Order: sequence, then C-alpha cells, then structure tokens
Amino acid sequence: MTTAELLADDPIWLILIKVVGIFAFLVVMTLFMINWERKVVARMQQRPGPNRVGPNGWLQSLADGLKLAFKEDIRPVLADKWVFFLAPVISCIPAFVAFSVIPIGGEVSIFGERTALQLVDLPVGVLVVLACSSVGVYGIVLSGWASGSPYPLLGALRSAAQVISYEIAMGLSIVGVVMFSHSMSTSDIVKAQGNLWFVVLLFPSFAIYVISMVGETNRAPFDLPEAESELVGGFHTEYSSLKFALFFLAEYVNMVTVSALASTLFLGGYQTPFGLGSLWSGFDNGWFGLVWFVAKTLFFLFVFIWLRGTLPRMRYDQFMRLGWKVLVPISLVWIVAVALVRALNNSGEFSQQQFLIILGVVLGVLVLLSLLLPDRKVEEDPNAVPITGGGFPVPPLDLEVPKAPTRRTPVVANLPKEPVAVTASKEASDGDV
Amino acid sequence: MLQPYLPLVFMFLLAGAFALFSVTAAPYIGPRRYNRAKLDAYECGIEPSPAPIVGGGRMPVAYYLTAMLFILFDIEMVFLYPFAVSADKLGLFGLVEIALFVATVGFAYAYVWRRGGLDWN
Amino acid sequence: MGLEEKLPNGILLTSVEKLVNWTRKSSLWPATFGLACCAIEMMTTGGPRYDLARFGMEVFRASPRQADLMIVAGRVTNKMAPVLRQIYDQMPEPRWVLAMGVCASTGGMFNNYAVVQGVDHVVPVDMYLPGCPPRPEMLIDAILKIHAKIMDEPLGAARAAALLESGASTDLMPSSERFAKKK
Repeated sequence: MTTAELLADDPIWLILIKVVGIFAFLVVMTLFMINWERKVVARMQQRPGPNRVGPNGWLQSLADGLKLAFKEDIRPVLADKWVFFLAPVISCIPAFVAFSVIPIGGEVSIFGERTALQLVDLPVGVLVVLACSSVGVYGIVLSGWASGSPYPLLGALRSAAQVISYEIAMGLSIVGVVMFSHSMSTSDIVKAQGNLWFVVLLFPSFAIYVISMVGETNRAPFDLPEAESELVGGFHTEYSSLKFALFFLAEYVNMVTVSALASTLFLGGYQTPFGLGSLWSGFDNGWFGLVWFVAKTLFFLFVFIWLRGTLPRMRYDQFMRLGWKVLVPISLVWIVAVALVRALNNSGEFSQQQFLIILGVVLGVLVLLSLLLPDRKVEEDPNAVPITGGGFPVPPLDLEVPKAPTRRTPVVANLPKEPVAVTASKEASDGDV
Repeated sequence: MLQPYLPLVFMFLLAGAFALFSVTAAPYIGPRRYNRAKLDAYECGIEPSPAPIVGGGRMPVAYYLTAMLFILFDIEMVFLYPFAVSADKLGLFGLVEIALFVATVGFAYAYVWRRGGLDWN
Repeated sequence: MGLEEKLPNGILLTSVEKLVNWTRKSSLWPATFGLACCAIEMMTTGGPRYDLARFGMEVFRASPRQADLMIVAGRVTNKMAPVLRQIYDQMPEPRWVLAMGVCASTGGMFNNYAVVQGVDHVVPVDMYLPGCPPRPEMLIDAILKIHAKIMDEPLGAARAAALLESGASTDLMPSSERFAKKK
C-alpha cells in the first residue's frame, strides 16, 4: 500500500489534526530556532547568549514575538495601502503550504486509523515545494515595491534576483534525485533510499542543493537583501509590529522547510540512520521516524547557524557569479553524467567491475586534462588610474612625498647652531607634507 | 480527482487566516500616536527626497535580464523532470535525447555567457 | 487607539499590564545610534565580556521601525540633531531614549556652539548615564534601570492614577545579583 493510498482515506478530522499539528510544529520550530541561533552564535563568539528571559533564556523569542504585537503599527504615507498590508500574508502562506508535502514520519495509527505521518503525498510533491518558494518571492518583491521608499525597493529587487537565480540550481540538483527514485513524490523518494542514502550516490547534487538552499532563504553568507551596512533592513525596512514578525516567521519557516526537504531528498527522511534499525526493531516504528526526521532537520538548521557564525557576507556580483556561472553548468553536466551512467548500467553490457574501471579511467583522464588548463591571467591595464574610483578627485596614491618648499631660515643668533637647524628643518617638513 | 489536494487547501486556509488575523489585529493591539515624520519614508534620518522611489521609479535593467534568463532556464528545468521520472524506461533513446536537449540549452547558455548576460557590475 | 486605552480597569488589566511590560522589558531592541567615543563602549557592551545578549538586547536594529530603545552614544552636533529627531520620530510607540555619557546628557566638555547641550533639547530622555565615557557595567546598569522603569509603566490613565496613589515601584536589581554563584 503506497503512502498516497494510505492518505487517501484519511477522514476530515484526521486531516484537520495533521494541519493544526504541522502548523504548530512550524511555529514552535521557529521560536526554538530563533533562540537556538542566538545561543549557538553566542557560544561561537564566546558569549553566554540570552539567559535571562524564562528558564535559561528559552522564552526570549516568545517575548520578542509578543512585544512586536504590542508595538505600534506604522504604514508610511507613500506606501500602497493594500499591497503593503497583504505582502506579509503573501510571503507567509506559501512558507507553510510548502511544508505539507514533507513526510515527517512513517506509517502509524492515530485513534485506530492507519495513516502516514504526512499531510499529503502528491505525485508532484517536490514541485510543490519549488512552486511555493517561487510564490514566496512575490511577498518580498511586493513588500519592497509597496513601501514607497528606496531601501526596501533595492532590497526587494536584490532578494528576488537572488532567489530566482538559486532556484534554478536548486531545481537542477533535484533532477538527479528524481532520476534515481523514478518519482517526484516525496514519500517515494524517502522509500527509494532504503538501502543507500542519496547523499552518497549523488554527492554533487547534495552539495549544490545545500549551497542553493542557503541562497534561496537569504541567509548568511548570502544575506545580501538584508545587508545592514548597505540597505538598512532590506525589504522589511518600513515594516514594524506584527507585519515584521510575519516576515520573520516566513523566513524561519522557509529555513525549516528547505532543511526538511534536504533531509528528505538526501538523508533518507524519516528512515533510521546508520543501520540502527538492526539493533532494535522499535527504531523503525512510524513515530520514531518523527524523531529521526527532526534530528536530521535540526542538523541542517545547525549548518545554517554555523555558516552564519563563521562566514562574512559575499559581494553581490560574486554571489550572482557563483549562482549562474558555477552552480548551473556544474549541475547541467552532472545531470547528463548521471543519465549516462544509469543508462549504461541498466543496459547490462558491462559488469559492475568493468563499469567502475571505465569510470575510474575517465575520471583520471579528466583530472590529467585539468592540469593542462592554463592559469588565469590577471589583466593589467597599463593606463589604469590607481584606485581613484568614478571621477572623484582623489589625491594620487603613489606615496611620493612632495618636497617641502624652501623656507627662510629663522634668525637665531643667540642660540647654539646645531640643534636649531634640526628643529627648523623638521618644522618645515612637518608643516607642509 | 482533486481530492488529494484538499489538505493543501486546509493548510492554505489556516496559514492565511493566521497571517490575515495578525496583520489586521496589529493596528488595534498596539498604541498609536501620530506625528508627520513617523509616516515618512526612512532614509537614514535625512528628510526624504520628494521624488518618489529610486531613479524616478525605474530599476536597473540587469534585474530584468536576470528575470528573463530565469524564466528560460526554469522552463528547461521543468522539462528535465518528466525525463528524470522515466529515465530508466526510455533507455538509450532517452539518454541521446536529453544529451541533445542539454547541448542545445548549453549552446544558448554559452551564448549568453559570451555576450556578458551573466556579468554583474 | 490601541489596547492600552480600551481595557476596563480591574484585575485583568493589571495582569495584562504585567504581561505587556514584561515582554517590552524582555525584548528591548536598541536602535544603532553610535555617534562618538561612547559608541565604542556600547559595542564593547555587546561583546563577549559584558554581553548585552543576556538580556536579549544584541539585536541592534538598523531600521528604527523595529527598534524600542535609542542609545544616544556620544555628543550630538547641531547638524546631527535633526537626524536624531527624525529617527526618534520614526520609531514606533512605545520607545525609550538613553542618553549615554555626559556629552549626550549635558553637552559635557563640548561647551561650544557646535554641540547640542544635552540631547533632551531634541528628544525626551528616559535615562541619563554619566561618565566620559561610561564603562560597559554602567551602561548595563542604566539599561537594567530602564527595565525596572518599563515594568512600572501604566496601561492607560486609570492605571497611572492608581499606580501614583499606591506608590508601588519595581525594585532595582544589580545586574549580577540573581545569577551570581551562591556562596
């Protein structure tokens, strides 16, 4: 019985329970994640981190959220009334909907009803997540446009360009997974990883997915839309109170969703890791799947925090170059390579051993060829003006100290000759250099 | 037919209700005191310039180019999915087809790269 | 407008007031307004040794729309005064101002035509912090006093009158008392 059939006869009350459960799970994860992030980053910087609010500081994010509710809600005069009002809603809804297709646990029975711990299993499951993340961009773009203010507009444009650039790399990295699982349904993808996780089989896809998921959620080191030093707060500069809180919520829910998708696609989702299932069969219970799933998701969320605590922000052109000129071609070539390997493997003309030998030879040749690549030439323009920028009057930076103009030697008859001459020349050079 | 999508609708409604409730309630819960400057655009404390939005409402054309490229490559990506689902069934025929397809796309990609469409200044 | 004036007086209001004030005190996000040497001490306060993050205050917001507390760190020149005022005006209610250092409080040693003689000429100040510049411990102390002040803030006019009559006030707490190692 497939998961889709299992879910098809869910009664309405069970669906409602699951909807509310997933919603609560995401909100709690957000509250937890904000706190965890602040504490872990603090630890990485050798600080204690929030520890006053609630038990050991764990209510900090709750206090933040409530406080935002009790703040004044500002709508600037230049803002477009309805779009400004709806933008947080538009960015919030897809964030939650995207999570519905993620399988968070195995087969269980709830109040005597056999079901799977998943809200809905669609034959196009993975596409739903991609589509939702695309729709979420609308919330960002509209919020920036509707604010009627320069910083949010620039931040929103950056953010949109960033998300759509990395969306391509993300989509291409998933193609490899689909090729191995023969299905786009998330539960089928998890089941296809029963023997071996795709992170082993498809490591390049995994690496591309992880990089692009950080770019997709606008997180450090790719948090250019919110670069304080350039754009104040980015698209949410003009938002205060609960509307700002909704943007915050959407961002963290998106993080949870892409992390959950990463563990679903590459780390075997709710399946028991490291062959622990052979130790005790209880580990393979559907409810235990929830534990494994949450653990794997938390691992990716920790990677998010880790990156934020470690890496500086990238420059925008470097960032776009990475997305378009590195990730996209690599994933295209990788997809063709995977398709080739699978076709040859399935054709049955080669044995496993021959196949691996051929693969090794091809790889060796490629490595040798790469040694022949010439080093990149640093182009030097002989006429270049040294670091002066765009037409601003900047003094020459060649460090040539101009000669001090000659000055009349002061008339000092009464004092001894030697020290006076020294001070006089020093004075002359001090004053004019 | 669309019955499997029903839970998605429920999720949409719940998230939408929550978000709409939040944005609607925000002005009623918090305090409000009017002053003119509060409703101005934030421009780092400087009096906001009277001309609205950057560059008279226009935006850099590079963003437009990025958006167009995104649409092209996104469509290409969507074509790869059905192939990926049935890659094994199609066998060698599918492999040749997809290699041709990626080569065609790669040609366009190389063209865009050569013309500087992917550069960002 | 808002919750503050709408609620009827009574036990409910007192509890709501406590909750609201607790959230406001627990998550007091500062706006970045470092002007001079005091800003260095302010940054140190956010650093590992003093760590403002313990009180949930490491979130220095770049946009005043999301800030609660403006720490005026350093002397305010006449040219900066309108900017300061504009940013203060753009902060949403409720908001607090901490004048950090003598220069922000009174003009200090800059007794001349270029410097505003005390930031209270421009914006209402909730807490004055002397020192030139004050040490991070002093800043944390001032912030904790603002926390105590926030806890005493009444919701609406009726509560304000009641509070005035009872004369109750939150005790000031040294920053490390509750969390110090017990002997």
